[in-house]
Amino acid sequence: MKKIFLFLCCVPLLARDLYITRSGAVSFYSHAPMEDIVAVNKQASCVLDLETGSFAFQVPIRGFVFPNALMQEHFNENYLESHQFPKATFKGNIDHWLELDLGPDSQDVAVTGTLTIHGVSREISESGTLARAGDGINGLATFEVAPADYDIRIPKIVRNNIARIIQVTVNVKLQQK
Amino acid sequence: MIRLFLFLLFSATNIFPQDELLDLLVDEPIEPMPVQATFKATRIVNSQSVELPRSKMLEFMVQHRFGTVENGFYDLFGLDEAAVHYDLKYGLHERLAFGLGRSSWQKTYDVMIKAKLIRQTEGQGKTFPITVVIFSNMGINALRKDAIVKDNFANRIRYLQQLIVGRKFNESVSLQVVPTWIHKNLVPAHEDEHDLFSAGLGGRIMVTRRFSINADISFPLGDRPDSFKNGWGLGCDIETGGHVFQLLLTNARGGYEGAYIEDASGSMKGGDVFLGFNITRVFSF
Repeated sequence: MKKIFLFLCCVPLLARDLYITRSGAVSFYSHAPMEDIVAVNKQASCVLDLETGSFAFQVPIRGFVFPNALMQEHFNENYLESHQFPKATFKGNIDHWLELDLGPDSQDVAVTGTLTIHGVSREISESGTLARAGDGINGLATFEVAPADYDIRIPKIVRNNIARIIQVTVNVKLQQK
Repeated sequence: MIRLFLFLLFSATNIFPQDELLDLLVDEPIEPMPVQATFKATRIVNSQSVELPRSKMLEFMVQHRFGTVENGFYDLFGLDEAAVHYDLKYGLHERLAFGLGRSSWQKTYDVMIKAKLIRQTEGQGKTFPITVVIFSNMGINALRKDAIVKDNFANRIRYLQQLIVGRKFNESVSLQVVPTWIHKNLVPAHEDEHDLFSAGLGGRIMVTRRFSINADISFPLGDRPDSFKNGWGLGCDIETGGHVFQLLLTNARGGYEGAYIEDASGSMKGGDVFLGFNITRVFSF
């Protein structure tokens, strides 16, 4: 009895098939009447558990690079308040994971989980694609985020410069740990 | 026993995994990075701050000082008169900038170099507590010949060198000290010093994300004539996108660098102080 108990407890910890990256790309695009803004972050970490289809992201906010240094400073200082909330995270699951047969062709997947930005956590459901690439796995997703949902206040004076809905693109190349 | 077993099994398989996955990532420390925005603008009120124009950006700044407020409504608290300093600065690199300026005070042109030697850093691991900047400015007085004692080009020049040591204590409070050396090639009287040393002090307190209260003052090191007054400025920053507006009250009217340190003329007692504003606008290239 005890042996079974110990064994069962250890199964999820030992037999984990983890795929990971520390240099995932997360970019966002804001389209507004006055200007379009693109920022790219290549320091996103991601880990995917092949056993269960659960996965997690961590994105350092200071890692977003803007075309313009002032924008970057305002993004950190005034909007994302990165001194207080240095990271954005996501943890969730790929839906119907066990029915999925991952091959070299991109497959549409649905994901659900908790996205935390600016200290505000929200449950989201989005879609993306997954594909095996050599001995790794590539993941790609594009979704929309409304700053207001995450308590990011955009003053009236820059309404024409910053979109109310920001398009976020995530691109990761995971390797087995 | 079975209950405990079920509980552990449940917690291990269903609750643990995701958090543990995230923990795997969160363990990665965030590397120390230079602090941002110790001040909103490249000046606090009158004094230079530890901030440089950002890399690859052109910064245009207007310093506008009205006349004395003591005449009240007669000249609308000095608004009828103006002394100005304009400058254009460019960030060659995030740690190096240069600029050109013009002041109505003694019709002075100036050139400046500002370099960030050390950056205050924040984060996990090895961080540095202060930012150190050197600021070097040369002013060329362009008054007509007859207004100058001897018409020798060297007589028109004055230099200012500053070491600006600042620290952002937290999101709201930043302070800096500014040892300053001014050299005038020509002084009005024979007994006047060519080299003047002083120490500036400046700081800000953020009130909201885009509004702060700022102050700076300078103290002479060494002797000054009896008429000397410590130059001070009190103001606020209002930030709106690509602009920073600074509304202020000061006892120094000259916009030019050395003037607010050595040539402050007014005092609060007599009501002989000046309203003014600085506007910073940035352009990216």
